Amino acid sequence: MIVRQFLSLRKAGVLGMNRRNTQYIMRFNRRSGFPLVDDKLTTKHLALKHGIPTPPLYHVISYHGEIAGVEKALGDREEFALKPARGSGGSGIVLITDRREGKFVTQSGKAISREEIRYHISDILSGIYSLEGLEDKAVIEGLIHPDQVFGKVTYEGVPDVRIIVYRGVPAMAMVRLPTRQSDGKANLHRGAVGVGIDIGRGKTLDGVRRSGAIMRHPDTGESLRDIEVPFWERMLLIAAQCTDMTGLGYLGVDLVIDKNDGPLLLEMNARPGLQIQIANRTGLVERLGMIDRAPKEIFLSPEKRVTWAIQTIAEPRS
Amino acid sequence: MRSGEDIVLEILGRSFTVKRPALWLAVALFLISLSVIEYRVFRLGYPLFPTSPVKAWGLSMEVFFEPTGKDGKEMEIRAGLPQSRPGEAVIEQGDLSGSLQFNLLAEGLNQIGVWSGDPEEGRVLSYRATVLLNPKRLAKPKPPGAESFPAIIADKSEQILAKRLVERYASLKAPEKLKAIGSASKGIWRNPQPDDNDLKQWSEVQKKHGAEGALEILLRVANFPIRKVQGFILAESVSTQPDRWFAVWTGQRWRPMQIETGDLYPESVRLLPLMIGDTPLVKISGAKLQEVRWTLSKQTLSKWRSHFERIQRSTRFLDQWSLFTLPKEFQDNFHILLLVPIGVLMISVLRNIVGFPTFGIFMPVLMALAFRSTGLAYGLLIFAGVVLIGYLLRRGIDRLRLLLVPRLSFLITFVILAFAVFALIGSKFGMREFMAVGLLPFVILSMTIERFFIVIEESGTLRALQTAAGSAAVAAITYKIIQIDPLQLTFFVYPELLFAIMGFLLLLGNYSGYRLSEILRFKILGEKP
Repeated sequence: MIVRQFLSLRKAGVLGMNRRNTQYIMRFNRRSGFPLVDDKLTTKHLALKHGIPTPPLYHVISYHGEIAGVEKALGDREEFALKPARGSGGSGIVLITDRREGKFVTQSGKAISREEIRYHISDILSGIYSLEGLEDKAVIEGLIHPDQVFGKVTYEGVPDVRIIVYRGVPAMAMVRLPTRQSDGKANLHRGAVGVGIDIGRGKTLDGVRRSGAIMRHPDTGESLRDIEVPFWERMLLIAAQCTDMTGLGYLGVDLVIDKNDGPLLLEMNARPGLQIQIANRTGLVERLGMIDRAPKEIFLSPEKRVTWAIQTIAEPRS
Repeated sequence: MRSGEDIVLEILGRSFTVKRPALWLAVALFLISLSVIEYRVFRLGYPLFPTSPVKAWGLSMEVFFEPTGKDGKEMEIRAGLPQSRPGEAVIEQGDLSGSLQFNLLAEGLNQIGVWSGDPEEGRVLSYRATVLLNPKRLAKPKPPGAESFPAIIADKSEQILAKRLVERYASLKAPEKLKAIGSASKGIWRNPQPDDNDLKQWSEVQKKHGAEGALEILLRVANFPIRKVQGFILAESVSTQPDRWFAVWTGQRWRPMQIETGDLYPESVRLLPLMIGDTPLVKISGAKLQEVRWTLSKQTLSKWRSHFERIQRSTRFLDQWSLFTLPKEFQDNFHILLLVPIGVLMISVLRNIVGFPTFGIFMPVLMALAFRSTGLAYGLLIFAGVVLIGYLLRRGIDRLRLLLVPRLSFLITFVILAFAVFALIGSKFGMREFMAVGLLPFVILSMTIERFFIVIEESGTLRALQTAAGSAAVAAITYKIIQIDPLQLTFFVYPELLFAIMGFLLLLGNYSGYRLSEILRFKILGEKP
């Protein structure tokens, strides 16, 4: 019974957690590279150095004593995103779209008081959202205005694009669409919808929510299929550059598409999840194998790797 | 078309693409473990199955006495105690009362315990011994010495009469002769019958010396070496008087004979001799003896215990470096410590092969250890209670806007308060379990709670509850496994098994196959045609 199940996963080329850890993360991601991606501030500085666009940084709060000065530092900015620098899985992120009568209005329209914001920043500094529960910093950066390409299949929030980059070559991609259940957040484990993206054509495939397949967005009812992702090649290139930037060989790159600024690097993940396989209805093993067998010369530059990926990694046309 | 078997082999082959150094190291660890065990079993005679039970008897003796009232007088109690001899081994013994000085003396054939000291110090002494019966080790018994040929108590004419009576059995072999003499003491004479005159005279002798004396005379004139023995028939019992019997040497071994009837004890009856000779089994001076109570109880010991004594005395390297040589109180710690590797092996299997979500990596092992002192049901109850309290309280406390660390500390303080109340309620209703919150389990469970709250904050309540359930399940499974006594003992006797565990962990660390939980997670992919 179980052997048969294992066999069918094997046949589908599904990459399991153990194999991802032993054969890819442990082999291609050296530990010293992890801090580069675990801390959003470090990532931001690194990206800046390499000319990769990220959301603009407004303010950093490192100590509890600085909390009181937040409003002053914000000046008259009406919209911003408040994030823990070392947060994971989208936890602790608050998006503010407006300020009215001393209160902050979140993206979902809820008004929260100044005290609540301070309380939240204090939580962030205490490390409640950080990966190992260590003391953390709070980052305030520019709010993203998502490109309307996914407008019809998004419930509030900002959809983001996840690209798995293996040895500098984009291997698999998906877009994560917030839903009512995920509270406007683009995290699959919170109930967001994941939709695979054909690397070659830059078009969306079918969707997945939790572990089930879906064709339409659960809140808007719009079809998820065949949406053409703008700036696709540029996004693939940014993703490919991230490997050169960090030296990590197995990387998850998260991007957003801003209405005005185009694709921006949001964050990177040195232990990217495996759910992307479900969104693509394809196992990663074969793709990673293809990249391992790719001609040596494509690894010379990010551009060559992207070109190779677009030509070679084709979705099963169904 | 490949056969299914090939595919499975391929999967295993690929899943276990163990890096070569790791594989060799694992093999080396297995070999070390195996060879040390082999050495212990075949060279040092360790039990291969150290946990199979062995029959043993517990003897306890309590002596009640009263001071005679003379001040400053030392008292002394001497008592016959069991000793190791062919077929029996005393594997542990000792004085439990501790108020008097206790010494062991070898006196002739006997092992004497001597207690001495101030009688005012205590009015009772108690002693315990565990005696192991080992039927296999029936080495040759020692032939009788001079002590077994006591002077014949009868006068000349009685001796002549006795000689005449037993002469008729001279042609019988020793064991048969013994039986014949035995039954004669009851008045049943084998043919040829003695004449009436002799019988009449003999009954006079019996009257004069008593049945015991008459039997002794008959045995002695027939030239049987005899010993008078005090001790006990091995049966679950409490007695205030020892049993007495004759041990008669038949040329090969000592046969026990009932004094009153002259019958030989059947082979199935086992006797525990405590004193050979006429000396009273318990003698007291300087105080008044009130009562002596001997209690015999059957015990089942695991085999390793029977090796305890031997290992402690052994000069072999591995025996001297055995965990048995640690002081008793530290041994208990190691019983538990050696279980931790089994626990972490379990965690590794449950997380990497099954795919349970747990709080932290080793928290469930600690929880399993905590369950050891609370019991599984109550431990799980504490855990559930704490999680529930924490969850309910968190809703309320959220509005107070406390910093993280004081907030968690507040919750833990509240939980401890709740436990104090539980304990008080428990004591009112006489429910001991409610009060039995050990320090260690509490600390461990509190740490788990902290993790629980952090997971709630980070990933939501549902995920936290799943993880809590996962942790509890892993802890319960781990607890069940480390509670298996034979396993505990096996690891204690063969600590080199830890090398094997390290080997398993090395192999497990190279397992890159699927987790059982991934069957569900990626079901949709596996179903694709």
